[in-house]
Amino acid sequence: MIKFEKVNYTYQPNSPFASRALFDIDLEVKKGSYTALIGHTGSGKSTLLQHLNGLLQPTQGTVRVGDIVVTSTSKQKEIKPVRKKVGVVFQFPESQLFEETVLKDVAFGPQNFGISKEEAEKIAAEKLEMVGLSKEFWEKSPFELSGGQMRRVAIAGILAMEPEVLVLDEPTAGLDPKARIEMMKLFESIHQTGQTVVLVTHLMDDVADYADYVYLLEKGRIISCGTPSDVFQEVDFLKAHELGVPKATHFADQLQKTGVYTFEKLPITRAELVNLLTSLSAKSGGEN
Amino acid sequence: MQNMLMGRYIPGDSIIHRMDPRSKLLVMIAFVVIIFLANDWLGYLLLVLYTLAGVLLSKISVSYFLKGLRPMIGLILFTVIFQMLFTNGQHVIFSLWFIKISTESLINAVYIFFRFVLIIFMSTILTLTTPPLTLADGIEKGLGPLKKIKVPVHELGLMLSISLRFIPTLMDDTTMIMNAQKARGMDFGEGNLLKKIKSVIPILIPLFVSSFRRADDLAVAMESRGYQGGDGRTKYRQLKWKMRDSLLVVSIIIMAILLILWSKVS
Repeated sequence: MIKFEKVNYTYQPNSPFASRALFDIDLEVKKGSYTALIGHTGSGKSTLLQHLNGLLQPTQGTVRVGDIVVTSTSKQKEIKPVRKKVGVVFQFPESQLFEETVLKDVAFGPQNFGISKEEAEKIAAEKLEMVGLSKEFWEKSPFELSGGQMRRVAIAGILAMEPEVLVLDEPTAGLDPKARIEMMKLFESIHQTGQTVVLVTHLMDDVADYADYVYLLEKGRIISCGTPSDVFQEVDFLKAHELGVPKATHFADQLQKTGVYTFEKLPITRAELVNLLTSLSAKSGGEN
Repeated sequence: MQNMLMGRYIPGDSIIHRMDPRSKLLVMIAFVVIIFLANDWLGYLLLVLYTLAGVLLSKISVSYFLKGLRPMIGLILFTVIFQMLFTNGQHVIFSLWFIKISTESLINAVYIFFRFVLIIFMSTILTLTTPPLTLADGIEKGLGPLKKIKVPVHELGLMLSISLRFIPTLMDDTTMIMNAQKARGMDFGEGNLLKKIKSVIPILIPLFVSSFRRADDLAVAMESRGYQGGDGRTKYRQLKWKMRDSLLVVSIIIMAILLILWSKVS
């Protein structure tokens, strides 16, 4: 679906302020997958993310989205279809709302891609229902809503473009725990319908719970990639890079270090941890 | 927008970097005034040498200054060419229909060109070597005497330093909102004029809304930290007027005297 080949990116090239943000990135987002990108602030996540939908063009290398190829010389016109294919929910997306009513704002995206007003509002209504915003809010001004509701509207605005790939840049930043879980469940349910999802986050627990493939970035380079369960096995490596592991993995690792239990493979989610512990204690209980 | 060099500060440790912002501001303003005293090549030579000394002392590569010139070059050439074409002179060397180019108009054009370049260079020295906040401090302090005629100097200074502080933040906000709207399929700078104007709305409204919110948050945060206005406040960043600042001011006074004398003689 999306493929990066040796992508390099430099901000303000050929100027005294030039700074290189990406180094030889090779990355693939498979159709229907749930890919996570993790890394520190300043590791290049957001720069990488802007390559996914053609907001930035690589200074070297190629980005393929479906059958569209984006290189340093691609024209804006060639890139526009990429934006339809890849919908990006930026960090704090509520700051992009501007229309008079919620419904109009959600319909803004599809209209830009040539869908008629009526049709766009129909899609908008459908997506608003999907993100769980009840009908009474649809005719209100987006600025009257609460922060959490505004974010739902903004996300519905991206979903309304019916992108093939949904990119989420820290979608739960600044939300309370309940809203966070609700939102992550929403994305999971969207993924279940066959939607490709790319999640940018630094919450390892979310990666463990939802993603099926993960890329680890540091200083503009990919330092590790694989399934979450494989990547999180290297607890010490991750800690050395100050990235951390899911809570369950950390707990299991600590347990293992005390010598009481040994795990063949460290669990990454709470459910896995519980399963492993019950089976292990059943075993040791049987022996005594 | 990121390529804008005007008004940017470049950290450094030259003698000009270390000077008091008040002296730099004063000299900058004085320079703009005395540049109009020069009316022949010797006067301009003096001014060029003075500016050159400033550029060299600031230890900043000349390419920065040339880049600062770039956005203005259109305006400069426009003015210069107009001067050249429409100044009436005695010694006409070229004439076509209503256009007459004389030696006087040529010389005049060259002078105007230098005037522009020197003023831009001088102001670039000021902005490249002075951090914006120090500059704001300098302006606030420099306006101090106006307090006597009830000008709210402290408030002006505060607004100035807050605005300067928020320019980069607002620029980031703008880029972010633009990107978000582009991701929703918005095209900028395409189509006819009306369409272009309309495409500004999805940026302006969120930008205003976020500015209001920021202002509100900032006001609350300032009050909760005990800010009550300008009276009875002490200053963390103290400005120190040193020998070199006095020398700088003396140098521009000498320049002014020389130029006045020269224009009297010739």
